[in-house]
Amino acid sequence: MKKNIKVNLDKIFYPDSIAVVGANKVVGTVPYDILRNILDADFNGVVYPVSPRERFIAGIKAYKYVSDIPDPVDLAILVFPSSVTHLALEQCGQKGIKGVIIISAGFKEVGGEGIEREKRVKEIADKYGMSIIGPNCLGVINTDARSKINASFARRMPEEGTIAFLSQSGALCTAVLDYAYAKHIGFSKFISFGNKADVTEIDLLYYLKDDPKTKVILMYLEEITDGPGLMKAARTVIRAGKPILILKAGRTPEGALAAASHTGSMAGNDEICDAAFRQAGIIRCQNVEEMFNIAIAFAYQPMPKSNRIAIITNAGGPGVLATDAAIHEGLELAKFSEETLSMLKKNLPATANIKNPVDIIGDARVDRYNVALTAAFNEPSVDAVFTILTPQSMTEIDLIAREIAKVAHHSEKPIYASFMGEADVSQGIDVLQRNKIPHYFLPESMCRAFAIVYQFSQTRHNVPTTIPTYEDINAPYVEEMITHTISMGKQFLTEDESIRLLKAYGFPVLKTALATTVDEAIQKAEDIGFPVVMKVVSDKIIHKSEAGGVILNLQNKTEVTEAFHTILENVKKFNPTASVKGILIEKMILDGEEVILGLKRDKSFGPILMFGLGGIYVEIFKDVSFRIAPLTEHDAKAMIEETRASAILHGIRGRKPRDVEKIIECLLRLSQLAVNHPSIEEMDINPLIVQPKGMGAYVADVRIILKRE
Amino acid sequence: METKKLQERVKKVVANVLKMDPEEISDDANFIFDLGADSMQSLELVAAFEEEFGIELDEDKALSVQTVADAVNFIASYLK
Repeated sequence: MKKNIKVNLDKIFYPDSIAVVGANKVVGTVPYDILRNILDADFNGVVYPVSPRERFIAGIKAYKYVSDIPDPVDLAILVFPSSVTHLALEQCGQKGIKGVIIISAGFKEVGGEGIEREKRVKEIADKYGMSIIGPNCLGVINTDARSKINASFARRMPEEGTIAFLSQSGALCTAVLDYAYAKHIGFSKFISFGNKADVTEIDLLYYLKDDPKTKVILMYLEEITDGPGLMKAARTVIRAGKPILILKAGRTPEGALAAASHTGSMAGNDEICDAAFRQAGIIRCQNVEEMFNIAIAFAYQPMPKSNRIAIITNAGGPGVLATDAAIHEGLELAKFSEETLSMLKKNLPATANIKNPVDIIGDARVDRYNVALTAAFNEPSVDAVFTILTPQSMTEIDLIAREIAKVAHHSEKPIYASFMGEADVSQGIDVLQRNKIPHYFLPESMCRAFAIVYQFSQTRHNVPTTIPTYEDINAPYVEEMITHTISMGKQFLTEDESIRLLKAYGFPVLKTALATTVDEAIQKAEDIGFPVVMKVVSDKIIHKSEAGGVILNLQNKTEVTEAFHTILENVKKFNPTASVKGILIEKMILDGEEVILGLKRDKSFGPILMFGLGGIYVEIFKDVSFRIAPLTEHDAKAMIEETRASAILHGIRGRKPRDVEKIIECLLRLSQLAVNHPSIEEMDINPLIVQPKGMGAYVADVRIILKRE
Repeated sequence: METKKLQERVKKVVANVLKMDPEEISDDANFIFDLGADSMQSLELVAAFEEEFGIELDEDKALSVQTVADAVNFIASYLK
């Protein structure tokens, strides 16, 4: 049956009636505690316990089967053991229930029979057009007064707020709830989605995009099953103005399996994830603390109009630390007008520093904070205010916190605070947190959170989405070549095949020719023009340099003759059985910077492209960038700019600026190639030799690896 | 043993363990879903069947038996 996910999710988050299926009377067990939580949260609807044995639970009439409930039910929460979940679910389907949460574990996560159980559950959901959250999850919380539902076995209902939290891990949810409770951080929706057998994080993102109660979305993810789907959903949500913060587990490099290409070995799961998130505008967080540091900045304060800040501090050192951090994060310290300076001068002691950062001196009481805050908020060049406090004997911590809250309440400019310390400042921090002033123990965290909010405000609208395509390509020819090669049981294209492939996609390829005899080699080298490069062509030899199959910078006939013989000898020594098709003669470019462009396939995200400067930059410094194809022009540019070595391409220390435009074009052509031909498994264009600006670039070598048949 | 008679004895054991009237137990009742057995009671059921019929059951296989009808067939296979 066709399902309307949005309508079904509304039944889950805003149900008029809930059945807790598999409920019991045993306090401290999941079935009982879920029922209790629903009752304690003042759910705005009717609850039906469903239990095979009990006639009533917690003073409420219980039903033997869901089908015995006389009225319609919107949401069923299943807490039966996994072995009988399908029986309960089938009844829910027959009853016409469209929203289901399966709390029970014992599905895909246990393997074997569990996988079958999960499959069966999904089939039943599809048969009846139901949507299921879980299995193997903590449940769902909606703080919206219209519903007030705590359908989970968390210890408590969080405060109402504008942050939505989604998690693949149930246990992390309870830790986060506890953390947030202590800091008065509220939530709009709190969703533990477990094994995501039916409803995925992608469905939830689309749902939360339209949820008026949600301003910012936080997610803990362990595995990404549909990378492109996640990126598409994220872009849609971000364009609607809601930032997405993801804490992605699995940062370890074990995913970077040994691979046959540079790109394959450089692109581990984590690098790919980083690139995909960046490309989609998702903010990736390193840990829970950083995630909430940024989340409260989004949730509590308006977006800044610019990155010009004012720092107000009663402590010199922390003021300097904050200034350093602000500059490091790309923020600017606003330059105060004469009017503001004279107002500060008049009202602050002579020892105070009235220029930004404003140091109101260690003995400052609330009146000085008031003067400085008012001046900063009235100053037109200031678009955000950072307040710092350290606790001296006379510091009125509580009053100053209240003053900040009061001023913030009347202002459209964002204000952040850092009360440094722990014990003495805690009361003030509590005031700030209750009043939704983002607070940070470290000024550095404050600057970082603000910088991320500012970047988001600048980029969310103007990220281009057009994917450029080139018409001067011959895709059928390339597909035919690939299919033919695979059907011959081969996994690699030879050099001349690879070059024909590149030419068919409009890549600038160096003039080349294949020679099978010395005389032919001399003839071809003269046609192409000296100096030339000579390379062996053989199906059996992929790493040509290792086999001694490449000789560079040959200036004349004699050198070509010598090289021809040397290559054949080297190759024979390296692999006596390798049959040699011939020697490739290629134009040698002398004034070029070498870059590498690569492609590999990822299980979750599909085609991944890599860019890096050639030679040691790739090998030693791993200075490379990744993006998921297809690329926009913006993506291609960003790939280049992201590498530290990009400065070299732009020309530093007397080096000539290079033809970056041509690299962008090559990346876009590679992107088109990657998308059009899924049978290309990995590919290295290494090097692409980039000439000075306006003079183009040439592919000097390429390695193409195809999918196994 | 006659299937009908075996079924009655199985139901009697189940009723005893789950503390209910044998009349309430249908022929194909699921121990968990229909009769509300918890994991402890499932273990007790296996032990009670062994005692009632004087047999030793493979515990893993026994625990995968979910209904009265399955239990009747399972035990019958031991009594042959």
